[in-house]
Amino acid sequence: MSERALMEGSAAMAESAVRAGCRFYAGYPITPSTEILEYMSVRLPEVGGTCMNAESEIEAIGMVWGAAGCGVRSMIASTGQGISLMQESFAELANAQIPIVAVNMCRGQADYFQATRGGGHGDYRFIVLAPASAQEAVDLAQLAFHLADEWRNPVMIMGDFLLSHTSELVEFPAAAFPEPSAKPWAVTGANGRRGITLSPLGPPEKLSTDIAAALGAATAKHAAIRAAETRAETAHLDDAELVVVAFGFPGRFARYAVRLARERGLRVGFVRPISLWPFPRDVVATAAQRARAVAVFELNAGQMIEDVELAVRGRVPVHAIGGISHDHSGFGVGPLLNVDYILERIEAVYAA
Amino acid sequence: MEREIVFTGIGGQGIQLMAKVLAQAAVDAGRHAMLFGLYGGAMRGGPSESTVVIGDAPIEAPPIVPACWSIVAMHPSALPALLAKLRPGGLLFANETLVDVALDGRAVVPVPATRLAEESGNVMGAGMVMLGAFVAHTAVVPLERVVAAMRAALPPHRTRMADANAALLARGAERVRTAQHAGAA
Amino acid sequence: MSHLEKVFETTDLLLRTEHSLCPGCGEPVALRTILELIGELGLRERTICVAGIGCYTAFPMIMDVDVLQALHGRAPSVATGVKRVRPDAFVFTMQGDGDMVSEGLQEVLHAAARGEKFTAVVFNNAVFGETGGHMTATTVLGQHTKTTIGGRDRERHGNPIRIAELIAQLDGSAYVARAAVHTPSGIKLARQYLHDAFRTQLDGKGFSLVEILTMCPTDWFVPPDQGPAFLERNLVPIYPLGVIKH
Repeated sequence: MSERALMEGSAAMAESAVRAGCRFYAGYPITPSTEILEYMSVRLPEVGGTCMNAESEIEAIGMVWGAAGCGVRSMIASTGQGISLMQESFAELANAQIPIVAVNMCRGQADYFQATRGGGHGDYRFIVLAPASAQEAVDLAQLAFHLADEWRNPVMIMGDFLLSHTSELVEFPAAAFPEPSAKPWAVTGANGRRGITLSPLGPPEKLSTDIAAALGAATAKHAAIRAAETRAETAHLDDAELVVVAFGFPGRFARYAVRLARERGLRVGFVRPISLWPFPRDVVATAAQRARAVAVFELNAGQMIEDVELAVRGRVPVHAIGGISHDHSGFGVGPLLNVDYILERIEAVYAA
Repeated sequence: MEREIVFTGIGGQGIQLMAKVLAQAAVDAGRHAMLFGLYGGAMRGGPSESTVVIGDAPIEAPPIVPACWSIVAMHPSALPALLAKLRPGGLLFANETLVDVALDGRAVVPVPATRLAEESGNVMGAGMVMLGAFVAHTAVVPLERVVAAMRAALPPHRTRMADANAALLARGAERVRTAQHAGAA
Repeated sequence: MSHLEKVFETTDLLLRTEHSLCPGCGEPVALRTILELIGELGLRERTICVAGIGCYTAFPMIMDVDVLQALHGRAPSVATGVKRVRPDAFVFTMQGDGDMVSEGLQEVLHAAARGEKFTAVVFNNAVFGETGGHMTATTVLGQHTKTTIGGRDRERHGNPIRIAELIAQLDGSAYVARAAVHTPSGIKLARQYLHDAFRTQLDGKGFSLVEILTMCPTDWFVPPDQGPAFLERNLVPIYPLGVIKH
């Protein structure tokens, strides 16, 4: 059974998380992620779950760590500033291989590095997914919990003010991915077995001290994740002379501008990375092979462009056509979120 | 085909509610819709804008549209900047109680929304009058869907306004039909 | 030697291996007391320990109960998440003074104020043991550490915090006590307080905390056998023993 409703992206994502089996949420209010906390505070108790209005972001991620360590699907959301406070826990959650879903409703897109490189210590990676519509937020929330359990690795969903506050018709799929029935890594009380230790500092077995082996196990899967979990949307690549790359909700503005450029007869193609890590390097590389140039639209001083350049490997020029964009609120809804502006930049690069 | 409608006015005129009700009515009628409101911290008097896009497939347009099919202007303050987005042949609905309708010779659908609401003893309901006129003129969604969506959209502390709002929606629709008849006559 | 009477054995919950902490350290006996009680109360299968970071972080791998390792200072929020999703579990945190009172003070205050139904155990030796003897928030005035070479000075380094008294002030705390493991009678009292704190949790009454003063002769710069006397002389006057709230 599927259901359809007109919902804000934040509420749609939260509802989808609950339907994916999320039963614990902790958060600290901060724009533009607060709506998820509000939604969860009403919705989770209805299904026997728990929502904590934590006293700080640091305590919120600690609470999520505790619940997720017990094997309960758990989620946290904030914006970049609050996500910064969680980085120590993020790094060690990845090392301890505890699956959580973290949402960053960014102010603009300046948290690309924070999400894909991580602000914490060590060798860890988060799988990072960036939806461009409320429906994709629903679908990726389902996928995020699945991937987190599948790989025993934290997953981040990166949205922004527009995703959070734009209402769209969404359809909730029946049950995209069933939750694993057994989670032998979770702490449950040592019932019928030896006690285990769930720790970023070493293996779960008692009396074992091989930290290198434990960290190796937590990072060896990165290559497999790169191979299996790369996702991107593409359009008009067959004859594209210029390839526009953009991600997240602002990517939707770029896609619209590309469509208008096509209507004007310009051979412009489009790539929207859906997984920011792993980055769809092959998709970008293949698209660039046939093109004259690549243009990157992102609302920051130039972050994803480094991943694009790594993919293109100098074969063709890579131009930045975005930039820092804010209005007086600082929430990231700035003047560059303008299809006409993007179209002008596309035309300028195309003509060069 | 996507229809982009931008509602503009000031806080307290019901801009956000009009847009929300229209989007919900479109979804209830089986269509796709997108809704994005932009408003300042001021609950009353500050600029208020909301965009609704209605289509038959998942909406492609971003929530800040480069061009629109229609503008619904309840107040003139933010209108001049917005007019550039109106496509040639696009429909401008103007609350003629407050908005000067002699705009560059554009085709304007004038609706004395604030006056009609005042006459009904409910000046806060001008938005409902305008929304009734808008759907009657454009037929993007049936009026009954709008009435139902309005009833569902009201928060609990405003449900007592439902019948009055329904009457205002009907008043606006009737005004358009009367004007069309007069025009045809 | 044909009739040997068994007068002592360690609990089964302490895996038969030697701990790696210093001679004269007070933490191992405090841990053994906790595990003995868990065994006696039949809680092993329900127990989830949330461990902080300090010398005692060596314990999780020799304790035969489930342990969730937390970051330095963060055990109370992690234990909150555990207890909220597993209300039937017996949950206790194990932190040192540096962990609970220096790094994570806000955590334990909020957990106590919320009345989270777990038991917080803090080993207070008034010094950062694992880093090699530096001042914590509970280092007493006059105490020599590597960062208070001339002794902790009120003007330069501020005053020590009495965490148990602080927690007792909060409405969500149901049981608060302070013990010390520097004498046999002290260990007996610690055992009694821990028992009462555990019962507080099992009865669903609210947050419980037991502060245990432990010896750290290495970082007090005294021989192992002088640890108990140092504790009695320097810590007990600042941190009085007894039940503070019940």
